[in-house]
Amino acid sequence: MIKTVDLKKTFIGRGQTVHAVDGISAHIKPSEVVVIIGPSGSGKSTYLRCLNGLETLTSGQIIIDGVDLTAKKTDLNLVRREVGMVFQQFNLFPHKSVLQNIVLAQQVVRKRKNKEAEGKARMLLQKVGIAEKENEYPIRLSGGQQQRVAIARALAMDPKIMLFDEPTSALDPEMVGEVLEVMKQLAREGMTMVVVTHEMGFAREVADRVLFMDQGKLVEEGTPEHFFTTPQEERTKAFLRQVL
Amino acid sequence: MMVAGLWVATKKIDYTWRWNRVPQYFVYHDETQIPAPFDGHVATLSKLGDKMRIKVISDDGEEAVFEVDSNAIEVSENDTLFEGDYLGATFEWRAGPLLVGLWNTLWISAVASIFGMIIGLVTGLCRVSNNPTLRSLSITYIELIRGTPLLVQLFIFYFFLGTVLDISRIMAGISALAIFAGAYVAEIIRAGIQSIPKGQMEAARSLGMNIPQAMIHIILPQAFKRTLPPLAGQFISLIKDSSLVSIIAITDLTKSGREVITSTFATFEIWFVVAFLYLLLTSVLSQVAAWVERRLAVSD
Repeated sequence: MIKTVDLKKTFIGRGQTVHAVDGISAHIKPSEVVVIIGPSGSGKSTYLRCLNGLETLTSGQIIIDGVDLTAKKTDLNLVRREVGMVFQQFNLFPHKSVLQNIVLAQQVVRKRKNKEAEGKARMLLQKVGIAEKENEYPIRLSGGQQQRVAIARALAMDPKIMLFDEPTSALDPEMVGEVLEVMKQLAREGMTMVVVTHEMGFAREVADRVLFMDQGKLVEEGTPEHFFTTPQEERTKAFLRQVL
Repeated sequence: MMVAGLWVATKKIDYTWRWNRVPQYFVYHDETQIPAPFDGHVATLSKLGDKMRIKVISDDGEEAVFEVDSNAIEVSENDTLFEGDYLGATFEWRAGPLLVGLWNTLWISAVASIFGMIIGLVTGLCRVSNNPTLRSLSITYIELIRGTPLLVQLFIFYFFLGTVLDISRIMAGISALAIFAGAYVAEIIRAGIQSIPKGQMEAARSLGMNIPQAMIHIILPQAFKRTLPPLAGQFISLIKDSSLVSIIAITDLTKSGREVITSTFATFEIWFVVAFLYLLLTSVLSQVAAWVERRLAVSD
């Protein structure tokens, strides 16, 4: 489903060069839930953002569903329709109501009729459990509700893959659960998911595979049992001692 | 106190206030006298509301019908007429020079605002684009316009471009105003676009929108809302700056005022009236902007 080959992303600024992503090769299979963990600044968010072209690669290759993102003739907009993304800061459109937030891209990008798009939006709002808020503006919702709307907005495009960039990091602790619950449900439905998170509980419970990144490199990967109980690398052990 | 002081001061210089001369320069009752077209006689008179219909027949049997105001009729039935005799008169309310000037200022400002907004929007978008050519072109334009006086620009537009490209004075005036306003609007729009968090563009792109779609549906509506107060200020400035077009002999409110003063010598009164009329236009615009702002505030 997703294949990255020796992915590199280098930021150059003020005389210093930062290798945010330094040669990551990974293969994510359909319906797989991959959780990426690592200390801050390890490049996990940058890696995720490369996967839908929000960052341009310095070198390497990304193939999503058979389409090479790095090929010149590839229309990134076509790829992005198939790859949903959920951000740490939700990034809902503040000038649109909850319903319009979910309807807009369906109409603009997928060219769906208003009725069809609204029907889909209501169905998804039901699914994430905030059907009664469809006419509110985002600012009036709690963080957890906003993030659930953001998930519904991404799902409305019928993506084949969902990327989550620290979806619960900006939330008050009591709201983390409701967002993780929606994500678990998605995983159960067989969505291919790549999740950058600090929620170890979620990783242990839902992930099919855990990737541990540090300083732009893939340090260790494995099933949650392997990763949390018998990690091999010293760096992984040190990190887990800190967070668990 | 201030009013009293001014009153004393004007007494001192022996100024005679003549406010009664002002209204006729807004609207006046225009009299048109209607002459008989030929030699002949009045055949019939018939009442038609407050008008009187006069049917006249010439010596050769030719007929003609006129309408005049009932209280301004000067003939009666069977009167003999010679060509050029007055049958009567009609009265009509006509806009005086101040009203005409006000209207001209209004539409000149409105047209210049619309084009200024379009120019500003396009330039503002060029200013934030990734294309270095577009960016430096827009910067050059903005610096050129902001760095020179509008009065000089008006002269250049009228005397140089007006002559070379053969455009009318009114076109020259409107273009100069629009291009002047466009430079300021462009900077306001740029600031507005840049004030929108990066995540908004990223969210729009991640949903598969291309850059124009994201701009139209996501970035510009939010930027417009944020820049409404400075934009309103800019267009209020434009209304006031439009007074400069009087210098290239466009009959706007300021020039009308000057013309009225030459025939009335009511210098003080007319300038106060002109100032009040500008204030009227600008405060209406302020109110409209405040109303739009309130309407857009629903999502706050």
